[in-house]
Amino acid sequence: MSDFIQDPGLLGLLQELDKDRLNIVAGQRKAKIVMIAGGVLLLIAVLLGMTTLFTLVPCVAILIYGFVLKSKMDFPLKLYKDTFKQKIVATALKDIDPSMVIEPLNGMSEEEFKASQLFTTSPDRYVSEDQISGQADKTRFYFSEVKAEYKDESTDSDGRRQVSWDLIFNGIIFTADFNKNFIGTTVVRPKNVASTLGSWITKALSSFSDKQVVELENAEFSEKFVTYSTDQIEARYILTPAMMEKLCELNRKSRGSISLSFIYSRVYIAFPMDHNYFEPPLKTSILDSDILEKDILIVRFLYDVVKELGLNTRIWGKS
Amino acid sequence: MIIIAAIIIIAFVVGISYYNRLIAKRNQITNAFSAIDVMLKKRFDLLPNLVETVKQYTKYEEGVLTKITELRTKASSAQLSNQEKIDLDKQIGTAVSGMMITAENYPDLKANQNFLNLQTVWTESEEQIAAARRNYNFSVTDYNNAIMMFPGSIFAGMLDYKPVQVIENAPEERQNVSAKDLFNN
Repeated sequence: MSDFIQDPGLLGLLQELDKDRLNIVAGQRKAKIVMIAGGVLLLIAVLLGMTTLFTLVPCVAILIYGFVLKSKMDFPLKLYKDTFKQKIVATALKDIDPSMVIEPLNGMSEEEFKASQLFTTSPDRYVSEDQISGQADKTRFYFSEVKAEYKDESTDSDGRRQVSWDLIFNGIIFTADFNKNFIGTTVVRPKNVASTLGSWITKALSSFSDKQVVELENAEFSEKFVTYSTDQIEARYILTPAMMEKLCELNRKSRGSISLSFIYSRVYIAFPMDHNYFEPPLKTSILDSDILEKDILIVRFLYDVVKELGLNTRIWGKS
Repeated sequence: MIIIAAIIIIAFVVGISYYNRLIAKRNQITNAFSAIDVMLKKRFDLLPNLVETVKQYTKYEEGVLTKITELRTKASSAQLSNQEKIDLDKQIGTAVSGMMITAENYPDLKANQNFLNLQTVWTESEEQIAAARRNYNFSVTDYNNAIMMFPGSIFAGMLDYKPVQVIENAPEERQNVSAKDLFNN
């Protein structure tokens, strides 16, 4: 358990939460058993041809009772999760920086996600939660968990329509005030087959696009990323040699390849992740779980982005 | 006959395309230098104000201020070549950096809001010029590659296009020196 939980009140709350967790798990297990029992009885009745009202009604009633039991656990589960985030995660955040707050139900809006221009595909299904905001010295920042998907519809050889959901992004999007003023848009995307082809097309048709490919001098940066901008000079004003090195370093520390956009005098950074952070455990005890340490680690990492990118250095007429 | 005609047409189209591309790249260099020029002018315009502000607080730095004023007069008067403008900017940059460091010895000057604003704008102009130079150098490299590689080299010979020199960055730009270190804020 993390060091910040030294407060006896907080420890008491954790113990209470663990009791709630056990009650929820027991309630869910009971609901599951009742539903399975109802389902099995219904199956036996159908297989034996006993499809009379007298046999079917009790089976269905047992099934419905199972669903009721399960839905009765929804509210305690929500309360358990909310209390964990509002009290435990919030205290852990204050321990890192007193200005940090978590808003579990808030996240990056879909409009802001699109406006950030981090990704070229517009989402058809979008979820964002657990927004954490704060101020590291002069720089205000916030980050949220985001999952964005698009719908892929196709028709098979028999003429049947098939719908699948493809991932645009799953992870955390971080945004902060950038320390320099700029008016255009600069986007930095990981280099892969699609983005290389995209940059080739953009270069070939540069007069038809509002953004141009920016070829930068840092070999490692150019190997990892493709940069587009509405202004070649402004892109270089933002992506100084030192900034490119810092971004390569940040990319090395991240699990997946990061994407960035510099727009509306802000920097947006998308960190792909496959873990759902800030969620309390259900199957293991809160008291002996390491799960909060993983959360603290990611918050510290994102909090340090401000320092690592030197966003507090305000010597460019932006205070 | 048709095949020969097709080859001639293709060669003609490719030739025009290369020819136009070379001209576009050459114009791109002029454009890129215009951007530097605009920024240099903005930067030079800051100098009189900067000198006046510093003059009010410092008594023993007449030599530095006079040198900056002279350089500024030179920059705004004569018809200078691109290289001369760059050289002049380097000299002005070095002189102003020296003046900023000297300002550390004058607490009243360091606290003056006008001076602080000028320092900030000066730093911003340094970064913008550095970005514009990098953009210019990219355009020059792109152009040089085009005229030195086949078949661009053939057209370059016909048009008498010669390689252009990139602007060498000042050592402090190579190291990307922090203005914070410079001003010791």
